[in-house]
Amino acid sequence: MEARSVAEGEERRGARAPGRLWALVPILLLVAVVSLFSARGGSLLELVGDNPPPADEVDIRRVELSPGEISIRVTNPQRDELTIAAVTVDDAIVPYEVDGPSTLGRLRSTTLVVPYDWVEDEPLAVGVTTSTGIQTTEEIAAAVETPGPSAAGFFGYAVIGFLVGVVPVVLGLLWLPSLRRTRPEWLAAFMALTGGLLTFLALDALAEALELQAVLPGALGGTGLVLLGVGASYLGLTFVSQRFAARGESRGGVLGGLALATLVAIGIGLHNLGEGLAIGTSFALGELTLGTFFIVGFMVHNLTEGLGIAAPIAERARVSLGRLAVLALIAGAPTIVGAWIGGYVTNDVLAVLFFGLAAGAALQVVVEVGRFVARRAPGGLTSGYVVGGFLAGITVMYVTGLLV
Amino acid sequence: MSKSRGVTRRQLIVGAAPIAASVPFAGLALAGGKQREATHLGGHGVAGHAAMIGDEVPAPGGPRDLDPLTYPAPALPHRPGRIREYSLVAQDVDIEVAKGITYPAWTYNGTAPGPVIRATEDDILRVDFVNGGSHPHTIHFHGIHPADMDGVFEIVEPGGRFVYEFPARPYGMHLYHCHATPLKKHIHKGLYGAFIVDPPEPRPPAQELVMVMNGFDTDGDGENNFYAVNGPAFYYARYPIRVRRSETVRIYLANLTEFDLINSFHLHGDFFRYYRTGSTDQFDYTDTVMLCQGERGIIEIDFANTGRFMFHAHQSEFAELGWMGFFEVED
Repeated sequence: MEARSVAEGEERRGARAPGRLWALVPILLLVAVVSLFSARGGSLLELVGDNPPPADEVDIRRVELSPGEISIRVTNPQRDELTIAAVTVDDAIVPYEVDGPSTLGRLRSTTLVVPYDWVEDEPLAVGVTTSTGIQTTEEIAAAVETPGPSAAGFFGYAVIGFLVGVVPVVLGLLWLPSLRRTRPEWLAAFMALTGGLLTFLALDALAEALELQAVLPGALGGTGLVLLGVGASYLGLTFVSQRFAARGESRGGVLGGLALATLVAIGIGLHNLGEGLAIGTSFALGELTLGTFFIVGFMVHNLTEGLGIAAPIAERARVSLGRLAVLALIAGAPTIVGAWIGGYVTNDVLAVLFFGLAAGAALQVVVEVGRFVARRAPGGLTSGYVVGGFLAGITVMYVTGLLV
Repeated sequence: MSKSRGVTRRQLIVGAAPIAASVPFAGLALAGGKQREATHLGGHGVAGHAAMIGDEVPAPGGPRDLDPLTYPAPALPHRPGRIREYSLVAQDVDIEVAKGITYPAWTYNGTAPGPVIRATEDDILRVDFVNGGSHPHTIHFHGIHPADMDGVFEIVEPGGRFVYEFPARPYGMHLYHCHATPLKKHIHKGLYGAFIVDPPEPRPPAQELVMVMNGFDTDGDGENNFYAVNGPAFYYARYPIRVRRSETVRIYLANLTEFDLINSFHLHGDFFRYYRTGSTDQFDYTDTVMLCQGERGIIEIDFANTGRFMFHAHQSEFAELGWMGFFEVED
């Protein structure tokens, strides 16, 4: 009896194997059709229209200045390959060396090294010309030596990041005792203020990400990158908040108190990463006034972020200073990291990703804050205090943002 | 139970502190920028014009591919009524305008500038023009000729043919170019060339050269990307023109640069006689002359010294974008 059932089982498995192989057939056929189209499809396309010649514009990713030398990193953003044939600086053809290939395939990069006696603080226009004579120009407002990694620079960016990120948040947390003494309605209003604040940050970061991706070459799929960033951080934080909820801080699946404050801190931290990036990039590009402006403006801006973190924990009896310090670091330290990245790497693709991450994180925290307020505030989401607080949050961010 | 009403003094100080604290740090940031100046010492890039043409050392002579455009056929003696025949075909050709860079040009006989047309005064010039290009073209000559040989109203369609025939006058250095519309495009895409009419009394013997100044706008933004003479940018910088000191050097110079109002010619190390349009014996004695598009003249140099002498447009931008060269003056 057993032997027969085993044999039957084997037969069925044997019958299933070709079934599994059959599942591969559509995929193989698709591969075949797509390859055929890629190889021969040109003649088909000629029936419907003419392909214009490739734009042959290069993407000048980074221009680095060192004494007596200009180093240009270029990428080929288009589908067709292109060849770099000439380099101009300030409308003069200059000799150069190629550190890499001269002919670039799709999305390939190379570095052009130009021995050049550039003048400090004066504008510089660097042009790269392809073999079809198409020139792409990058203008540098004021030529300054690109800061290479140095201990002084590293430390400087860290101090700036600390000043812009951690200090204002700590100062904002000093509002905690005052918040403890407020009525629940007002506390709900301050929570809503946090929500408005974060909504503003989310939209701000999203707008910045979309703006930055618009100048990226189309081949890099900028909008997809933004969506990736937003989705990754939103879902990532949702996951994290579930873990916090499991640890028992919540009532009925809604995060409260310290967990919510931590989430707010994370959201603000990711946004501050973007702020650090803006500061670092300004200094790396020699725009010192702009960078300084950012520093002062962001510091004022970030004060209200400290308030946003303090509001959720106002209801708790006691929060240790250590915990508060950690929250401040979560929110503020990413500014340091952002400044380091912006100052030394300045990658336009990474910048898009970071701002997308910031937007997603802020949005997720708004959702959490909203659930908290709906659950715990007297009067729920539609009470006057909550609505007023939300609008106040947006207004405060807007007004302090005008300073930047 | 105090409620937070208004802004307490503590909150005000708390709010103001970051702004107050930032001031010295802002100063630090600005000072950090200034300190960079000290590091820029002695790190000068490769200097000098030789660097502009790359790693190729100037090689006198070089490949002879531009010879037909550089060295014109010799002048013929005056014989009124002699027929001088030329055949010009308009062709769409990709030409090299700088090292490694091609440009889709419209040319007469495959080169931009086109071939040098030469006649002696009172010769009958007959130019058989066939349009092998993809757009309508004409040939408009500078000089004195009948209105129906002017190359303005008689448009030659692709595949068409027109024979320009008229007596060559006056003597001097002239030029020809397409006069189809849009005029700017038909000229800047390469349809132009030198047209020399020799005087009845032959000019003194000299080493003769033709230089047609032009520019190429390869990216279509209405500004020239490269400037040149007779051929690719920097050609005569890479391959200096060999001349002898013992004989006058005569240059038939024309300006066919589009987009820029003026071009110029400057010679290093010596002066020259400049006959504007070459139709009189009036000359300027100078080392720099300025020409608008369509202006031309004859330069005569009696070199005082041997060696390598640069010549270029004195618009520095044009020089650095390709319009420069060297004379290699030998005994």
